[in-house]
Amino acid sequence: MIRITGLCKNMQNTTLLRNVNLELESGKILGIIGPSGNGKTTLLLSLCGLLPFDQGEITVGNKSISARESGINSEALWEFRKKSGIVFQHLHLFPHLTVLGNIIEAPMQVNHKTKTEAEQEATQLLEKLGITQHRNKYPEELSGGEQQRVAILRALAMNPEVLLLDEPTSALDPMRSGDVRNLLRQFAHSGHTVVIVSHSVRFLKGIADYLAFMGKSELIEMNTTEKLMNYPDDPRTKEFLLYSELN
Amino acid sequence: MHALTAFSMPALRWGGDPSGGAPYVYADPANPQSYTGFDYEFAEALAREMKMKAEFVPTDWESIVASLQRKEFDVIIDGFEPTEDRAREVLFSKPYYLFRLQLSVKRTDKLISTLEECKKHGRTVGTLVNCAASRLLDEGGYKSKGYQDPVAAYQDLELGRVDAVLMDVAGEMFYARQNPKLKAVGKPFKSGAYIVGIRKEDSLLLAKVNAAIERLINNGTVERIFRKWQLWDEEQLKLRSQQQPVFEMTNTKLNWSEGLIKLFKAASVTVLLAFGAMMIAVTLGLPLAFGQSNGGPFTRVACTVYIEFFRGTPVLVQLLFLYFGLPVIGITLPGWLTAIVGLGLNYAAYESQIYRTAFKAVPDRQWQVAYSLGMRPFLAFRRIIFPQAFRIALPPMTNDFVALFKDTSTAFAIAVWELATAYRELANATQSYLGIGLVVCCYYLAMSLPLAHYAHKLEQRLQRKSTGILSSGADK
Repeated sequence: MIRITGLCKNMQNTTLLRNVNLELESGKILGIIGPSGNGKTTLLLSLCGLLPFDQGEITVGNKSISARESGINSEALWEFRKKSGIVFQHLHLFPHLTVLGNIIEAPMQVNHKTKTEAEQEATQLLEKLGITQHRNKYPEELSGGEQQRVAILRALAMNPEVLLLDEPTSALDPMRSGDVRNLLRQFAHSGHTVVIVSHSVRFLKGIADYLAFMGKSELIEMNTTEKLMNYPDDPRTKEFLLYSELN
Repeated sequence: MHALTAFSMPALRWGGDPSGGAPYVYADPANPQSYTGFDYEFAEALAREMKMKAEFVPTDWESIVASLQRKEFDVIIDGFEPTEDRAREVLFSKPYYLFRLQLSVKRTDKLISTLEECKKHGRTVGTLVNCAASRLLDEGGYKSKGYQDPVAAYQDLELGRVDAVLMDVAGEMFYARQNPKLKAVGKPFKSGAYIVGIRKEDSLLLAKVNAAIERLINNGTVERIFRKWQLWDEEQLKLRSQQQPVFEMTNTKLNWSEGLIKLFKAASVTVLLAFGAMMIAVTLGLPLAFGQSNGGPFTRVACTVYIEFFRGTPVLVQLLFLYFGLPVIGITLPGWLTAIVGLGLNYAAYESQIYRTAFKAVPDRQWQVAYSLGMRPFLAFRRIIFPQAFRIALPPMTNDFVALFKDTSTAFAIAVWELATAYRELANATQSYLGIGLVVCCYYLAMSLPLAHYAHKLEQRLQRKSTGILSSGADK
């Protein structure tokens, strides 16, 4: 479950987010679309507690964080960060660790799981995406698509309530493959929430339950995928959809 | 007319060490542009007697014979004593002064009054390197420590870094007699002579110098000079009566197997210095790097000042400062510890810069990923950032370590007996710069080559880990 109320973020006289309000129940996948440079990634970073904001409040599951708390390293912020996992556009796997090492590092170090336990869980995850054979390789030895799967598993291994993905289609063999989609759906349906930021409407159409359109630092409208695609309210949403279909 | 004659007179270029060289030859405190000292006055008188113009060439005491051979000057006049090993390289003139040695201890020392007692109680005796006293101590098997100049020796005696100092009476009179914290014990003993040293091939010059010395002794010039410096005594009357004065030749033929062992011991000191200093540098560099890039305004400035100070001033000066400066505020460290701390503080400044660039090279997103996985800053640093930065920092750190190995040789300035010091000492004593030099180089290589090799191996191993051997695809 995610609730964002009155979220504002400025940086050096530039407004990055203006009064963003959003609510999403558990078990759903939300796609955020919109032209680049309009605050989609900023929203995502705020949502997982990595970027301080100026006004408003964010709730993920049973943890809330206020604008004031978002700026100071505090117990509240650490706990809040554990609620969500993020997969960055450029993945940023740990280059000094193997695939397995990338996945078990946080469960062992943060949740103090034993190595056997963490490895067992990691192996289960790896099997779901069919990359068990790469478990002892280093990130640089993998293809872009394989790296993306590892990044997703790394986030999922901490068992977050919310999974955030930033531009996942920029990886080489992106989410086309069924097993990654299945994994995300399965994750959502087991009572979690997924938020995907992407400029590719076509990709989101096939996976998201809801779509939100962001333009000019504002969340312009949000609706079920079906409704937003076919009956957008706002002329700016219409224009964007038309434009992306032409492409 | 007179000026013209002076100008056209041939020069008598004489070498002496003016650093800590009083009362032989030293910079005149009242007029630091020029020099003074009894050897200075003697050289002036000698040149005048030979119808030449004295020209002083400041040099280094320890390598004074080698400098003479290199023709940097034509004669040595610097309280120079005839010894058997020098006799192989140098012609000796008639003596112009007969000296004796004096032992000094701390005024509070009730125990020691002779050299034998030093030996019995296991005390260390300080002296100048490469002189009659140091040879006497070496041969007698006394525990000794060599200094470049008498100031350092007597200062260390004051600070308790050595237990006694044995020095020519001339030096003792000038540097220790007035010091209320020190006292001379026993009578001056073991006489020797100061002579003028001349290159083997210059026998013509030797004859002229000898004739001039004889005239200077007979016409009372020598007496006048040494009386002025309060160094004239009955003993000197022997100068007149004897053509060949009594002096004891000391023998320092190199025993190669002992020499190698000595060098090996010195090499272990070098290893100790290098490792000790590197430990300090590697550890201290970390807070410095952090302070400079992430600290508050005060910390930032403080770290930058530290780094720029240690990078911007010579390490040699820093060592001298620590060794002689710190005792003023009550901190007296032994030489080897001073060298470790000094080199460590110096290299910490360099290591901090390596760390800083290495940490900068790790993308910020790595921190963010770690945070998003629930890691706190210290954990993220320890497990995620540090291992990546370490791989980047390793090659330049290895470089620095090898450089540090070589920089340990600066410790000779504060009387630490390491490999370079041992080289100078042995080579000067035996005049075998080439042979011993090659051995010393081998020792250095034996230390630095394995180091470079293992560092390279480690680098390769880490490299293989972080970038993979089969770098396939993954263009981002």
